[in-house]
Amino acid sequence: MTVAAVAGLELRRLAVRPLAWALAALTIAWLAWTFVLGLGQFLGAQVKLAAVADAPGFTDLVAIPLLAELAKLAFLVVPLMTMGLLAGERRTGTLALLASTGLAPWRIVVGKYLAVLAWLVLWLLATLAMPLLVGAGSTADWGKLASATLGTALMLATLAAIGIACSAATSFPAIAAAMALIITLALWTIDRGAQAAGVNGGFLEWLTLATHLQNLLRGLVVTSDLVWFALAITLSLILATRRLGSDRERQ
Amino acid sequence: MIESGLLNVQSVSRRRAGRSAVADLSFSLNRGEVLGLLGVNGAGKSTTLAMLAGALRPESGRIDLGGRDFVSQPDIARRLVGWLPENAPLWPELSVEEHLVAFARLRGMTRAQARQAADGVLARLQLGDLRRRLAGVLSQGQRQRLGLACALVHAPALLILDEPANALDPVQVGELRKVIRERAAAGAAVILSTHVLAEVVAVCDRVVILHEGRLRYDAPLSREGDGASLEHHFFSIATGAAA
Repeated sequence: MTVAAVAGLELRRLAVRPLAWALAALTIAWLAWTFVLGLGQFLGAQVKLAAVADAPGFTDLVAIPLLAELAKLAFLVVPLMTMGLLAGERRTGTLALLASTGLAPWRIVVGKYLAVLAWLVLWLLATLAMPLLVGAGSTADWGKLASATLGTALMLATLAAIGIACSAATSFPAIAAAMALIITLALWTIDRGAQAAGVNGGFLEWLTLATHLQNLLRGLVVTSDLVWFALAITLSLILATRRLGSDRERQ
Repeated sequence: MIESGLLNVQSVSRRRAGRSAVADLSFSLNRGEVLGLLGVNGAGKSTTLAMLAGALRPESGRIDLGGRDFVSQPDIARRLVGWLPENAPLWPELSVEEHLVAFARLRGMTRAQARQAADGVLARLQLGDLRRRLAGVLSQGQRQRLGLACALVHAPALLILDEPANALDPVQVGELRKVIRERAAAGAAVILSTHVLAEVVAVCDRVVILHEGRLRYDAPLSREGDGASLEHHFFSIATGAAA
């Protein structure tokens, strides 16, 4: 009940602030341009592709690259969306006011997380509408597209959870955004050093976000990947909750 | 000796920014009582109020609210406590009505109950004309009244007001006094923190004076007779003459 009230309040605030609308408009325009370019190249290559056995189709050449482009944008968009959720409220004093309503910190964190998640799902759906509308009239690989969509959604959910944890850690939204950006980029490429040293596999590869997303973008739904996303989200939300709870001790 | 009442504060202490903000504070408050909390800047008033509102945890001591341990169960604040912090923090992008509905919902009311409660408090505080106006464009006095409305929307048993008369004009101050007395008559306990001694004399039943985080004076106001006596006590304590 109160989680829903926090989520409703946050969604209302997102809806009336220009940041969410500006980010949505700019990124969807960029993604639409990317989609049109990809579709044009796909249509132009039809003759060549027809001559190749098991040639990649619309899903591989247009739809999944579009989702990969959205995933790239998410590194910037999600920290911008989450930076003020707790840091901004702490700065203006409204976080203490929220705490005074007797809400447990986890309810505040989960409520705000659900609100930003709702926005991100709408963002993903608006992007997905492009390949879905075109794919409906063609022979898209729906299974692969579903897997890629799941992967992108899980990545967005993970970035949002990390963003909230960073927002909980500071009173400065800009610092929260920078922290979230650095942490997610580090998580994306953490095994690069090991790869350069010729070491493949192992813990660092498992820890890397890219490993788990790329499997799903290839149409491979593996339980260990889903577990990784679930762990990353849970750990981030627990950290955010603990930090918020400690506000009552630390102020 | 701690009296039984709606609120019992027992030996509460809290450090802030490396120094003792509140030390060994004890007092109680009964239903229907209006308590004036006085002290110079840095005396520990806002820290005390934040602890009573559940926004800050005491390092030691016990706060009982309605017979329950408030420190270990801060969730009981949801229904029982309404808090207007200093400077009335608000969400600038939300309207007056949205604030009230949101606070009522956060206090556990259903949407229908929240709307009804918001309508009631909008009418009582004469904010009806401003119901669709965004908090970000309100004047300081209007913000203060909205903050008060947010604290009142769920008809709390304990109303905590930190400098509520800030930026209010004399007419609005008169209205504020009426609202405080109405809440007390309805059985709520009210804590009013202010720098204006006349405000305390006009509306409070009892006064507590803090100095350097410690309770230095606690007496019914009627015993004081008039504001001059309270002023004498306050300045004696503030300047160290009563130490």
